[in-house]
Amino acid sequence: MARNRFDVDETLETPFNIKHLLRAGVYIKRHKQKMILSLVFSAISAACALVGPKLIETALNVAVPNRDYKMLFILAGIMLLSILLSIFFSVKRSRYMTVVGQAIIYDIRKDLFEHLQRLSFQFYDDRPHGKILTRVINYVNSVSDALSNGIINFILEIFNLILIAVFMFMCDVRLSLVVMAGIPLFLIIVLVIKPAQRRAWQDVSNKSSNLNAYLHESLDGMKITQAFTREEENAKIYNNLNTKMYKSWMKAQYTSNLVWFSVNNISTWVVGAMYLVGFSLLGPAVQIGTLIAISAYAWRFWQPILQLSNLYNTFINAVAYLERIFEMIDEPVLVDDAPDATELPPIKGDVTFDDVTFSYDGSINVLEHFNLDVKAGESIALVGPTGAGKTTVVNLISRFYNINSGRVLVDGHDISKVTLHSLRAQMGIMLQDSFIFSGTIMDNIRYGRLDATDEEIIAAAKTVRAHEFISEMPDGYYTQVNERGSRLSQGQKQLIAFARTLLSDPKILVLDEATSSIDAKTERLLQEGLQALLKGRTSFIIAHRLSTIKNCDRILYISNKGIAESGSHDELMEQKGHYYQLYTAQLEE
Amino acid sequence: MFQLKWVWKNLEGCRKRYVFALCSTAVLSMMALVNSVLTAQIMDTVFTPVKEGQGTTPELWHRLVVLVSILIGFTMFRMCFNYLSVMTYETCSQKLLFKLRRDLYANMQAQDSSFFSKNRTGDLMTRLTGDLDMVRHTTCYVIRMIIDCVVLFLTTSITFLCVDWLFALAMLAVTPIIFILTKVFAKQVHPLYVDLRERLSRMNTAAQENIAGNRVVKAFAREDYEIEQFDKKNEDYRKANLKASLLWFKFSPYIDGFSQSLSIAVLLVGGSFLIMGRISIGTFALFNSLCWTLTNPMSTLGMLINDLQRFFASASKIVELYYARSTIVTRQDAVKKEGRVQGAVKFDHVTLKRNGTEVLHDINLDIKPGETIAIMGPTGCGKTSLISLIPRFSDVSGGTVSVDGTPVGMYDLKKLRGSVGIATQDVFLFSDTVDGNIAYGDPEMSEDDVKRFAKIACVDFVDKLPEGFDTVIGERGTGLSGGQKQRIALARALAIKPSILILDDTTSAVDMETEKYIQDQLAHLDFDCTKIIVAQRISTTKRADRIVILDKGRVVDVGTHEELISRPGYYREVYELQNGIAGEKKGGAA
Repeated sequence: MARNRFDVDETLETPFNIKHLLRAGVYIKRHKQKMILSLVFSAISAACALVGPKLIETALNVAVPNRDYKMLFILAGIMLLSILLSIFFSVKRSRYMTVVGQAIIYDIRKDLFEHLQRLSFQFYDDRPHGKILTRVINYVNSVSDALSNGIINFILEIFNLILIAVFMFMCDVRLSLVVMAGIPLFLIIVLVIKPAQRRAWQDVSNKSSNLNAYLHESLDGMKITQAFTREEENAKIYNNLNTKMYKSWMKAQYTSNLVWFSVNNISTWVVGAMYLVGFSLLGPAVQIGTLIAISAYAWRFWQPILQLSNLYNTFINAVAYLERIFEMIDEPVLVDDAPDATELPPIKGDVTFDDVTFSYDGSINVLEHFNLDVKAGESIALVGPTGAGKTTVVNLISRFYNINSGRVLVDGHDISKVTLHSLRAQMGIMLQDSFIFSGTIMDNIRYGRLDATDEEIIAAAKTVRAHEFISEMPDGYYTQVNERGSRLSQGQKQLIAFARTLLSDPKILVLDEATSSIDAKTERLLQEGLQALLKGRTSFIIAHRLSTIKNCDRILYISNKGIAESGSHDELMEQKGHYYQLYTAQLEE
Repeated sequence: MFQLKWVWKNLEGCRKRYVFALCSTAVLSMMALVNSVLTAQIMDTVFTPVKEGQGTTPELWHRLVVLVSILIGFTMFRMCFNYLSVMTYETCSQKLLFKLRRDLYANMQAQDSSFFSKNRTGDLMTRLTGDLDMVRHTTCYVIRMIIDCVVLFLTTSITFLCVDWLFALAMLAVTPIIFILTKVFAKQVHPLYVDLRERLSRMNTAAQENIAGNRVVKAFAREDYEIEQFDKKNEDYRKANLKASLLWFKFSPYIDGFSQSLSIAVLLVGGSFLIMGRISIGTFALFNSLCWTLTNPMSTLGMLINDLQRFFASASKIVELYYARSTIVTRQDAVKKEGRVQGAVKFDHVTLKRNGTEVLHDINLDIKPGETIAIMGPTGCGKTSLISLIPRFSDVSGGTVSVDGTPVGMYDLKKLRGSVGIATQDVFLFSDTVDGNIAYGDPEMSEDDVKRFAKIACVDFVDKLPEGFDTVIGERGTGLSGGQKQRIALARALAIKPSILILDDTTSAVDMETEKYIQDQLAHLDFDCTKIIVAQRISTTKRADRIVILDKGRVVDVGTHEELISRPGYYREVYELQNGIAGEKKGGAA
């Protein structure tokens, strides 16, 4: 699948079905008790509210003609009681629904986030991050009301509808049929506009997703935008997306509002028709009393339908978001623990590539029949032209991607058969782009080993020569930093990331251009500290500065989808091949 | 309340329409009452006479037909009007939203780095999504409902007062109590909503960082930890949400209770008045049937106040962003510069302070047009800070930086930055095609030009990508190696044909051979260009006309490669280290 961009709508493969709502049922079911109680409470509350008109009627028919003040007070007392009961139960229901609604979005968000953690790099690389973010935060928030109050109200209104219909039919069947004649018409209208409506809301969700994706990326890349004075151009793009959002929203509104528009009109038509039919049938067939009674029901019959149609709008809207949420929860986990995966026992650090072929996109192989045997404690350097696959090799050891064929073994265990956590927890990987989380420097280093003491953290920082500049910062180790914070230079970020990796005390250490932004002198000092640490650990080092890798046990020159040269520095120098050229070129400088 | 004023200010262009919408709501609320009047008419003038034994006369039939037609026609009209009204609200609020998004986006683009280090992406995203949605909700729904409530309440109150003032007063007696309750509630709930949106913002930030840092999370197998951390934020948000929502239920029983007690007043007072003969049965029926138009607004108002408080909390955050002003802007009295910038850069006693600490100290440097200057120094010595002064990413704390003899502060910012091509250390690529990324500074650029600059920067790996220059690369350039990203960033900087080219450690992840090639290319550019290169490798700095050594924010040495290796100092040490001269001795163990 091609990468998704901010200006491309994400097409949804699955056609609309009620399944998304039913699936949301899993989340609702957990609150079955509260949901049922809420229903009961609502019913009681509604019943209590019905008492009011009856009491007034009694007052008019009995108390007033009899000038019975006492009865008036008694009736008022009963009314007070019914009001109190009604409020008590309705508040209880509303409280429950608030709790349930919040619990549901909490649960959905939790599941979504947990699933996101299991998805591989590829997932994150293939779509704008803003789109992922919007789903976790905004979409989930949008469905809370529909899934709590919406459901309860839906059930209540259906009950209400049935109840009124029964009363209405008990009055007169023929007239009731006239009143109900509007329903098919209403259903036709709903069915006609439903596809358009659904498309419209999907479009809204797409357009807002695009808008947010672009916004997100703009914020992250602001410095580049300013450096290249692209502000106007970006504003144009953003406003283009903004306009699309505006249009899609208005379109959704134009169709959605047709629903209540038609309900109100149709209900007036049928009730009007009912008046006329009823009147023409007056006589022995239809009593005037019946007509008066049924006209009261006729108006009330269409109230729940109006409510239901509003709820229907809410659901259509919610489903547009739920689809997206579930789509993400259903995103297959490409790199996952095998069903029978075992824990990788504490390792020594042997690494073997056995006839490995790998491709990122399935078409162009980055590595072909790649073989490599590394003994525990060995230090391996990878050199070669940019894009030759050096990073790929080290990424495969941590199983960031699945290989197409062959095996990668750690201590003789096929890494595809052990749990990812047990594998990665024993490896220390320092990536090309060091990411700094917002928090203190202390927290950032501790990310490598959560139970590390402050002393251990400081020791790690000292080893990588980061201690000095950290101590000079205003709050030392407790200085707040973040990814975009201008407090840290690129080199300083790398040193922090380095300390973080060291702290994790890995058996296999991967340093991918870990020191590229660190000045030569600091690096030298760092290397000295490292020598002691590297003992007993297998290490893979990728670097362009050859001084960094000269002392490695073995240097691999990677090109043409495999290893072109392999050997120690001296051996390779004697071979007078690629490495020799590289080294002498650097010396010449 | 300033938030509402601010909204009104931004409704410019559709204020008339919005006022129309507000009026239409008032009219519509009264029209809703007409419906009940019409049905009552049918009952009273058609059905009641029949019931009282007049039988079905053609006259009554005729009257019924007329009334039903009026009812249908009126409803039709009312609904059309209502549809128009609702759509006007939607149009106005969407136009408002469009304008706010546009302005906020433009304003964020004008902010400097201090703004972005203070405001995290997740927080800014919250403002432009959730907070803006509250503004929309308020302008198109909350305000409409408030007007509806108020008009309904007032119309009924006045009608009641005209019919029987004593009865009316008896019913309106609870109004002040409800008013006070709502006020107390609004005051108490406000801080909760401020807190709630803060939690939302924190959760947003946590998710945003997790997504951005997904590689690190996986590398350290910290998924469980991340889940745990996010769960806390999620839980905090849920709790804050509950706290704010549940507060309403502490008040709502009283508010509902008082408003519903109106029917007790009808029963008790109305009943007594009936018995006393003060009012007729018709008056009683009127009070009884319109009772809901007093009750409903009273209890609905509470909920609307709730929404309004939420709006206030959100809107203040947006207003804050809306009026945020950067100090780095084009000055009013900026000098108009025509033609191409020559590229002379001068640092004159420049100092730079950041968060109270001095980052640069008394820097003096005179760079001639066309010169190549290399800057070197230990990690954190101020190299990046120094070069960021040229395109005015930061302003100096003392001294002046000038380009072609004019202080950078006096330039039109667009002109200045348009003359400076910069490839930053932390390469940021956009999720666009390779072509689009290279042509970032000039979207109109021809394909041939893109290819030419790609060649200079050695972006030769493009051929291996599935769709060549049209391959879409991931956000932040994920999927490419560090060296590949750097080369695209270099091509991007070159593509604007800058007068001053700044390369901030741009080739650190590029292999030696490629770097050599790039250097050759850079030496023979077909446009005049001053080059300022920050680097760690001697191979990069060697060919520079002058090399500047920075240490702890001061210039400690300046000279050519030959000069610097001939005297002891930082440069010679690095030179020796990188050529393994010192390395052989020290690293002898290996």
